[in-house]
Amino acid sequence: MIRVGDTMIPMARTVAFTLDGQPASAPEGELLVHAAARHGVFIPTLCHDDKLEPYGGCRMCVVGVEGSPRPLPACATRVAEGMVVSTDSSVPQYQRTLTEMLLAEHLNPDPGGRPNELVDLAEELAAEAPFILPDAKREPYDDRNRFMGYDPDACILCNRCVRYTQEVMQCSALSLEGRGPHARIVPTHGYSWLDTECELCGGCLSACPTGAIYEKFEEGTERPERTLEKVKSTCTFCGVGCQIDLNVDPETQRIVKVTSEPHYVSNEGNLCVKGRFAFNFVHHPDRLTEPLVRGEDGELHPTTWEHAFRVAAEGLLRVKEEHGPQAIGVLSSARLTMEENFLIQKLARTALGTNSVHSCEAT
Amino acid sequence: MGPLTPELSDAVADHMNIRRGEVHEVVSFYSFLRVPVDAVRVCIGPVCDCLGAKDVLAREQEQANGVPVLGVECLGHCDLAPVLLRGDTVEPEVTYRANDGPSTGLAGWDETLADYEARGGFEVLRDLPAPERIVEELKASGLTGYGGAGFPTGIKWEAVAREPHPRYVVVNADEGEPGTIKDRYVMERRPYLMLEGMLIAMRFAGAEHGFVYLREEYGTARARLTQAIDELRQAGHLDGVAVEMVVGAGAYICGEETAMLESMEGRRGMPRLKPPFPSEVGYLGRPTLINNVETLAHIPAILRTGGEAWPHVRLWSVSGAVREPGCYEAPVDVTLRRLIDEHAGGATEEIGAIVPGGAASGILPPAALDAPLTRDALREWDVGAGSAGVQVFPKSYSPLRLLAETMRFFAEESCQKCTPCRIGNRGMHHLLQELERGRVAMSREQAEEWLDAMAATSICGLGQGAPFPMRAAFRYWPELFAPLGEPSRMA
Repeated sequence: MIRVGDTMIPMARTVAFTLDGQPASAPEGELLVHAAARHGVFIPTLCHDDKLEPYGGCRMCVVGVEGSPRPLPACATRVAEGMVVSTDSSVPQYQRTLTEMLLAEHLNPDPGGRPNELVDLAEELAAEAPFILPDAKREPYDDRNRFMGYDPDACILCNRCVRYTQEVMQCSALSLEGRGPHARIVPTHGYSWLDTECELCGGCLSACPTGAIYEKFEEGTERPERTLEKVKSTCTFCGVGCQIDLNVDPETQRIVKVTSEPHYVSNEGNLCVKGRFAFNFVHHPDRLTEPLVRGEDGELHPTTWEHAFRVAAEGLLRVKEEHGPQAIGVLSSARLTMEENFLIQKLARTALGTNSVHSCEAT
Repeated sequence: MGPLTPELSDAVADHMNIRRGEVHEVVSFYSFLRVPVDAVRVCIGPVCDCLGAKDVLAREQEQANGVPVLGVECLGHCDLAPVLLRGDTVEPEVTYRANDGPSTGLAGWDETLADYEARGGFEVLRDLPAPERIVEELKASGLTGYGGAGFPTGIKWEAVAREPHPRYVVVNADEGEPGTIKDRYVMERRPYLMLEGMLIAMRFAGAEHGFVYLREEYGTARARLTQAIDELRQAGHLDGVAVEMVVGAGAYICGEETAMLESMEGRRGMPRLKPPFPSEVGYLGRPTLINNVETLAHIPAILRTGGEAWPHVRLWSVSGAVREPGCYEAPVDVTLRRLIDEHAGGATEEIGAIVPGGAASGILPPAALDAPLTRDALREWDVGAGSAGVQVFPKSYSPLRLLAETMRFFAEESCQKCTPCRIGNRGMHHLLQELERGRVAMSREQAEEWLDAMAATSICGLGQGAPFPMRAAFRYWPELFAPLGEPSRMA
């Protein structure tokens, strides 16, 4: 099966095409940018995002296609039988010029330490802005939310963030506003994210190729993302099991942000507000790191798991004996998996003898 | 009625059960959804600019009295320049200068359907030849799209006829190319003629639904077409079919056919990636036959006389430094000199530059006055025939200013989606402004690289065509660009 837009279609037949003079093959209908990559030809893109419908806006990926009067965007053109595609020096190259153009309104390449694919491209292509456009400055945007910042001066209007909110999150947090030199991307009407439908999932941030939308760091923990060590983990906030990368500062050994990659199973790089931003419990001084049991002095004392379980079991059994099993109710956490929830209800019904069992996931 | 405020925009979204952000995106795209309908719109297009629009704008802003005063691009009344719209009313009062050409007969005025029928109207529709014949006649006539792109009409019609039903027909009445007034002349003076052409297209395509996408600024045309459609309905000409008007909201780019389709579907008017072309995937994803107003207006005459015998003519909008600006039917290979001298009453002062066919067609020097204005002949001059909006500029009007105004226009009207159009046009405008101040923003070589990228990689005709005036100016006024250094190749 391959994905075309929102629909999965049966594996297409394989077609032969020509790529830079070499014979090549691909499933019919595959995007050129993917087919080329499989043949070792890397075509740069900025506005393309595999999660989103082809857009073809930045034009960075245009390639020569025989029979077409002008170059076509590889991110939005599908392979067809007999297609002759050229990306090499046999066709005019526009990447450097297009990069120069984008740089001419790219006032702030690094607002929040996130990687900037435009700057990478500029270095690779030795592109520099010939000037800064007099109307490059966009209205600054300051949001009172705690997690995400946005600097319009780093935005290249690729529209990935807006398309992410519309196509993946199906929400109305961001808008591409206006046209021509007045076009800008802002939370709808320029309101705070907190006053739109935004759930602060940070998906727009992960879609942004230039880091214009970025994580607000806890004070004093700002570090460029590329200097951070990524530690693979599974989000503990619910049973979905989203795969995450804890980005750890090698010096302080503290998590400073959480990211996720599009190829990760179960969440495909998408996260929710908790998974992306609510990681400060990890280093919190109040976090429990070992079992505690309240002693006769009324204080909590560290102990072993065996002892802690015994104390809990004895307590529950005492209640059952004195007041009957219906005096016990079991409430399980939304953070548990389905299997764990199954075991909880089994514990409630068979060991404790109560049917009063509930998970807060149900609400 | 006031503008669509954020609150109203959200209310519309809630009422229609669509996302607020998407409604905001659409509302913010169109210039006239955010201003009150009684706003004063002063045309600052090139012809109006040359004839003192900036003074008019300043005067209006001074006397505004709380009513918003906006500078807008070509209002399509260049024959009356400088011109403004006060609410729905054009100032100065609208007058016409047209000739009685054999194909469109614009000197006439059809007040009612009876007038049109008295002139032989609807005879062609009544006895419409078979579709194959129609395609043959259109091909034989050599008719090409007169909106500006110039695609052969017969081939376009043939392509749509190969596609499955249901099909739609759309009339592109979003005339906005600076210096172009011809579609307005047709719609105001002979609306039934265009509608007959449209009904021929609908019958040909087997389309039950036809749409006229009309620019919002054309209030008179809207009233005339509304009345004409009503009359046609009452007379039974629309039995079994529906003709609907869709009114734009102030966006030049919506004249680009796929942007127009997006706009008709209720979205931002951002051009689609092509292929596929509208003949295959058009309105609501169905095969769609899109023709310009004037193109359709010629079709009754072509089918009446036969393609071979049809005098290969088009409507020339002539404005600027001429005595009798207006809209004249003349052969496609007419020269500028004949248009200016024989139709437009001659030049009012020494001619400095001529734009032959709307902003994106390019700029010609007076040396080109005797070149025939066909697409092929103009190719040698590195310009296009475009929409036949001939704008004559006096020697006293600096070509640099003309160019700068043109590039500013493209920059303002860019939908913003693709990099080369959004930034390239602003870059060229910046380059010209700096040049006027004696500064060099980028080398000639680099400017040419930018223009090449704009022409080759822009999504639609706006960005692809914008380099024409720049390149023409490089060629015809090289001295103006000497500070930029050597060209990268011989122009």
